[in-house]
Amino acid sequence: MDALVAQHSRSQHAAEGYSEDEMQQQMSADLAQPLSLQFALPPTASPSQWLRAMTDDHSNPQCPIKIAHGTTTLAFRHKGGIVVATDSRATAGDWIASQTVKKVIEINSCLLGTMAGGAADCQYWLAYLGMQCRLHELRHKRRISVAAASKILANLVYSYKGMGLSMGTMCAGVTPSEGPALYYIDSDGTRLAGNLFCVGSGQTFAYGVLDAEYHYDMEDAEALELGKRSILAATHRDAFSGGYINLYHVKEDGWVKHGFMDTNPIFWETKLKKGEFSNVTSKMDE
Amino acid sequence: MAAMMQSAMPTSEPGYSFSQAPQSVAGGPRQHGFYPYTDNGGTTLGITGSDFAVLAGDTRSTSGYNINSRYAPKLFKIGGTGSANEGARIVLSVVGFAADGNALKERLDTVVKMYKFQHNKEMSVHACAQRLSHILYNKRFFPYYVHAILGGLDENGVGALYSYDPVGSYERETCRSAGAASSLITPFLDNQVNLKNQYDPTSGSGLEKVTKAPQPLSRQTVEELVTDSFTSAAERQIEVGDGLQMFIITKDGIEEKYMELKKD
Amino acid sequence: MNHFPVGWGRPRDDVYGAYNPSYLPQSHGGTQANPITHTQSPIVTGTSVLAIKYKDGVVIAADNLASYGSLARFTDVKRLKQFNRKAVVGFGGDVSDMQYLDRLLNSLDVEENYGGDAPAESGPHMSAKNLHAYLSKVMYKRRSDFNPLWNAMLVAGLDESDKPFLAYADLLGTTYSSPSLATGFGAHLAQPIMRRAVPNEAASRELSKEQAVECIKECMKVLFYRDARSMPVYSIAVIDGKGVDLKEDEKLENQSWAFAEQIRGYGTQTV
Repeated sequence: MDALVAQHSRSQHAAEGYSEDEMQQQMSADLAQPLSLQFALPPTASPSQWLRAMTDDHSNPQCPIKIAHGTTTLAFRHKGGIVVATDSRATAGDWIASQTVKKVIEINSCLLGTMAGGAADCQYWLAYLGMQCRLHELRHKRRISVAAASKILANLVYSYKGMGLSMGTMCAGVTPSEGPALYYIDSDGTRLAGNLFCVGSGQTFAYGVLDAEYHYDMEDAEALELGKRSILAATHRDAFSGGYINLYHVKEDGWVKHGFMDTNPIFWETKLKKGEFSNVTSKMDE
Repeated sequence: MAAMMQSAMPTSEPGYSFSQAPQSVAGGPRQHGFYPYTDNGGTTLGITGSDFAVLAGDTRSTSGYNINSRYAPKLFKIGGTGSANEGARIVLSVVGFAADGNALKERLDTVVKMYKFQHNKEMSVHACAQRLSHILYNKRFFPYYVHAILGGLDENGVGALYSYDPVGSYERETCRSAGAASSLITPFLDNQVNLKNQYDPTSGSGLEKVTKAPQPLSRQTVEELVTDSFTSAAERQIEVGDGLQMFIITKDGIEEKYMELKKD
Repeated sequence: MNHFPVGWGRPRDDVYGAYNPSYLPQSHGGTQANPITHTQSPIVTGTSVLAIKYKDGVVIAADNLASYGSLARFTDVKRLKQFNRKAVVGFGGDVSDMQYLDRLLNSLDVEENYGGDAPAESGPHMSAKNLHAYLSKVMYKRRSDFNPLWNAMLVAGLDESDKPFLAYADLLGTTYSSPSLATGFGAHLAQPIMRRAVPNEAASRELSKEQAVECIKECMKVLFYRDARSMPVYSIAVIDGKGVDLKEDEKLENQSWAFAEQIRGYGTQTV
């Protein structure tokens, strides 16, 4: 009865605007827990279909919200560790939104993640993974295994399956228990362990070079060169890849960065000094 | 799985195991929902230097071919005290859907002000940038239709600029343009700020050529680049014009400059 | 997720179902009907609202017609609502939503004046600027719930320091301010005329009340000539330091339909 009276004695404007619950949620979101799992949803019957209509630039090039997408990434295991290489281009539709994206995400000093698909999805969830890994360390007094870390991520994105996340990522790390370990995780929830992965729209071109030359017993220098050469091939043939080559090597005592290199001079060096890319007929200065 | 089986029928055509071309709903039920976005046009731009950051935006607001207002700022001070944000050191610029931009600004401003009350120190641009990314990603499934750029000075007093996509992927850059005329301004900035595809003419030819290395620009040069960008964009983009608002962030605070742009 | 190089990372039809463009308007490659016909759509509607700032205050006007499609259904609907002695709201768009907002504003006004926090001294303590902030937040919240109030409105009056204030808010939560504003058809027909009188803020500080009223009346006339959803009886309000002067039964004067003779292309004439 009191509730009924309260409902009708309340002035009209009090019913408009945010409810107590909504304000509480907003307040707590504004105060703490920035990496949260609470997301606003469009109030429609089918949020994922609605989101797709707004953001799928492949089905509809005129869609209003163009999310930045990343493109060629690769990682492979060899006897000296794991080579991780990526390009640096982000495209929003046809537009090159950036040529300087850092697609290798440093989760912590021993774990790397790569970014392909929705740039924001990868950045957010790998940051979230970094937080979980740190919490694991604090709880268990030892570093998390790559298998466990990748599983946290896979389970996480699987719980959002069908909502419209887009990410293809690789987790690379070396731990005492596993040695060099490499996992592929995508937003379908797939999680695979393997020696060699290429991910993104330029994956096929990278696989072409990598599969032909790859063997597990490569030395470090040879492996790094192959990673670089594979990305170069992808940037040459895939319009959605380009910019700079980001090269990392993961070893037992953590990862080492081997440069963020402009593709253009590397391309001409590869062509003119090594005689590759003979499909390109012009001379550099003409 | 079912869909893969259905289309895996043997055909003479080469093809994938399932259809690749996106299909759209032909008959079926149609949603005649409410479309919650609009584009209010305009362009923003940010460039940093060794001890300052400049953010700029035109002040026109449009709906389709109509000009709503000739003075609707896209630049907002974040933090500081009171509704006038006195003493603020961070600037947010937003283009796209102005109502979303406004909502985003108010959330970030609240967060930065609360941070000061809780921690008794100013929020760093780095922390603010990360927080903005999280605010945007919180709306991952119902995005803010905005392109945001955040500017300020980092811990070392160096100009810092962060740019965002609508769902919060972000990157620190030296310069960035967003909005209607970004496709006109960005190539100009690539050339003038990052000196793309420019070589030292004395350095020989072929592989010997040395690319010019971008140097930090002086404040005056940056301001000139900004005005040139906007006067040129106003010539060629119908959604850009009326006024140019510029915020220059230095260790002494935020200086505001305003100049007229063409009103046609 | 699509793993083929073209369209990598995008949703796949066999997972998400076919792409459904009916959420989007045609301008973005969608198939949403245009002009927007929604499951939720305005039924009985009002047309343009016009307002112009002058040196001491604001003049705002809207005609008294509520249309049902092309039918001039109700001819005595007042679309200017006085909030207090500092603010008037002019509504375009759906009339039922206007009436809801009017009730909402009334209850807000009662709360402001007689509620727990009511100020001891007399006089309104909400300025037009405060009211506009409140209204635009209501509108933005409703659009975010996909349950919009189908209106475009102008808030005219004085801000906290008694300077003229004029701003717009609509069903999407979009807001802006300008020396002269018009909603609906008025944005096409009246705004150019008003901008001739007040191209900028400085010009509006020079404009007299008589000039402002004259300009608005002229615009109402032009709108009646060409807006098929308008009528010659209108409301006009002047808000200044002395309060609100609202007239709700004004008639258009000095109409001249001579220009109609020159119109070609709509009738049976052959020249």
